[in-house]
Amino acid sequence: MTRPGFVLEVDRRTPPLLFHAGEGFTLQQLPEGSRVVYPPDPLPGLADVDGAIERALSEPCDSEPLDALLRPGMRLTIAFDDLSLPLPPMRAPDIRGRVIEHVLEHAAAAGVDDVELIVANSLHRRMTAHEIRHVVGERVFRSFWPDHLRNHDAEDPEGLVYIGRTEHNEDVEVSRRAAESDLLVYVNINLVAMDGGHKSVPVGLASYRSLRSHHNVHTMMHSRSYMDPPSSALHASCERMGRLLGGHVRIFTIETTLNSRSFPAPYEVLQRREWEWSARDQATLLALKQATGRMPVELKRALFQRIRAPYEVTGINAGSTAAVHERTLANVHRQQLVEVEGQADILIAGIPYLGPYNVNSVMNPILVVCQGLGYFFNMYRGKPLVRRGGVMIMFHPLYRHFHQVHHPSYIDFFEEVLAETTDPAVIEGKYEEQFATDPWYVHLYRTSHAYHGVHPFYMWYWAAHAMDHLGDVVFVGGDRATAARLGFRCASTLEDALEIASGTVGGSPRITALKCPPLVLAEVR
Amino acid sequence: MGLRRDLRIMARGWRWGDAPPRPVGVDAPQAGRKPYGWARRRPASAVRAAVLALGFAPLLRAEVSATVDGVEVLERVEPPVLFVANHASHLDAPLVLTALPPRWRDRTAVGAAADYFFSSPARALATALVFNGFPVERFGRSQAGRLSLELLEDGWNLLIFPEGTRSPDGWMGDVHPGAAHLAVATGRPVVPTALWGTYRAMPRGAAWPAPGRPPVRLRFGEPLLPEAADNSRSFNRRIRAALAVLLDEQSSTWWEARLRAGRGETPDPAGPPAARWRRVWEATRADDDGGGMWAR
Repeated sequence: MTRPGFVLEVDRRTPPLLFHAGEGFTLQQLPEGSRVVYPPDPLPGLADVDGAIERALSEPCDSEPLDALLRPGMRLTIAFDDLSLPLPPMRAPDIRGRVIEHVLEHAAAAGVDDVELIVANSLHRRMTAHEIRHVVGERVFRSFWPDHLRNHDAEDPEGLVYIGRTEHNEDVEVSRRAAESDLLVYVNINLVAMDGGHKSVPVGLASYRSLRSHHNVHTMMHSRSYMDPPSSALHASCERMGRLLGGHVRIFTIETTLNSRSFPAPYEVLQRREWEWSARDQATLLALKQATGRMPVELKRALFQRIRAPYEVTGINAGSTAAVHERTLANVHRQQLVEVEGQADILIAGIPYLGPYNVNSVMNPILVVCQGLGYFFNMYRGKPLVRRGGVMIMFHPLYRHFHQVHHPSYIDFFEEVLAETTDPAVIEGKYEEQFATDPWYVHLYRTSHAYHGVHPFYMWYWAAHAMDHLGDVVFVGGDRATAARLGFRCASTLEDALEIASGTVGGSPRITALKCPPLVLAEVR
Repeated sequence: MGLRRDLRIMARGWRWGDAPPRPVGVDAPQAGRKPYGWARRRPASAVRAAVLALGFAPLLRAEVSATVDGVEVLERVEPPVLFVANHASHLDAPLVLTALPPRWRDRTAVGAAADYFFSSPARALATALVFNGFPVERFGRSQAGRLSLELLEDGWNLLIFPEGTRSPDGWMGDVHPGAAHLAVATGRPVVPTALWGTYRAMPRGAAWPAPGRPPVRLRFGEPLLPEAADNSRSFNRRIRAALAVLLDEQSSTWWEARLRAGRGETPDPAGPPAARWRRVWEATRADDDGGGMWAR
């Protein structure tokens, strides 16, 4: 029986609590009475994953079995989530590769010759061959790379097709190959409730023209939260697009869910509850903390980016997108949902070394903002964990480091745009178009491994709801100049941060801390 | 970042050399069998009887001037019972145990704070052997309630200090309903047990009784049986009220205490609200002259 998540109330017997702080850690003694939201323990994995995949393909939800959709001479496209999922990346074999192998076995048996595999990387950077091989596995990679296994190119005029407009005037433009296939099979890993469903194809295989319909400040301000699809304007938009797309191409969705076993040895201590740390756990954490405190940041990054999580698969569902996603979300909630009573004045979170957009890369300050004010702030259903006008305190060093190859437009966004203003709406109106259509950024996106020119804007929009909602944001241990550029404040210690926050929320605030990772979704009542 | 600083944080936070930390409301690790069962078997009982009779009893006689009253109530009740006592000193448990007739003492187990008395192997061994102590979780849900229940069902009398900790100022603290809950659940009687003067004799922080054989008094009250209408909370109120009357009786006379109880004027054993030093001052008066803050 898996232990559910719970809300701890800090008392005098509570040991210091561990928070991530970039490529390091901090132990913090929270004030007595603070509440800490702990995720459930990892769910047990499926004993027979291959059997579960076969069952999903042969007994899909609200769809004919895969075999009935396959025939000789057809065009089959298999699209799959890119390296932004899961976090940390999954230890081989990646579940996407295993599912794709099963789909290909069926396709081969049915005599399907025309098969293409596309990484649904949207405006993310192109995955390297090595990264793709890790996801799809050696057998698939050798069979299809590079001619029939490739990254999606959202700036290839020949490779895109305009499908039309939804009833809300949202443009739908996606990969031509996918849209003109007889069958599009989409394979995902549903790490959080935001992922999957109709967000997979209309986002993962779309163009900037299509994405701008919902990746904008207005939509994000009306997605409360985007981790709760029924309350999310982003998801409503994706659903309209998905329905429109469904009229043009048959989509067979395969969604998978993983448990929260996020850290392999010797990092398991990072997801244990502190009061249960054995002497060995304490020694490990001490060694980790000391080592990371002394290493150059590049070495720390290299060390942590090598982590491959020993996830276990908790669910595989296939069939029509909506029916599958309903089951998928139930699995995600089973692993992540924790009930929390009432909002806090202050929300505390540690920002880890990794987010969706810096796998094998650098978490630059804009990505830190996206991770904290975007993802962590939005890990709620119902109401935000912190009240309107409250304060969010985060632990992160806020290095002014950027990956030159992966995030070129981020550098200019940070140096030029944020130097001018931090208001998402102003930024959107004044700068987005320019960055999105800049030929150099487009070139780097298409031929190098750069995120699209517009991507840093989306990261900023992702945090727009939090920026609007919060009265103040304080980074503990952050670089002051960087924080100032981002429009936030800095403190040396948590005590100082609480002191700063007291100017906004008063001297005896209610404090809630989010223990994440592993991921936790708060149901706030 | 410094190693010494981290070591200090971890040593303090994880209580190196002591019981591991466990916040309130967090489950204790599940034990497969009744802990310290050996302490309730015959060899350990024999050792305990010898230590209490030949060690603690003479020692207490030498160090404090103890008066024990009300032992006769035990003639009117069948074991097992719950002795529920106020708690101000480490003298309390040995005083009660040595005051009990041997046939009761030999079948009595003492609830002891798991996070203190069972925090290190040596302390746990001594607690279990000498006092027949069993771990009681003071702060969270745990199996301690189940263990108490099992001990009662096995015929063991339990000595429970429902305040959960020694009084910091000599006055009675909150009475937690754990003992009342056990009594209601099992239908077993509660013998209210009032201890007076032990704070003055050996308060928190003292390792030995004060010089001059300070007076301490112990009184067993009339057994209380949970009635059909009682729940844990209402029965807990009855227990607290009984302790209050007994304490009143300790510091005056049985009759005066009865009269005040009849008028609903029994002094609150929690004492009057005042600065801590004044409460300590009052609780450590050389003799109770009925004056001071405790106005009658």
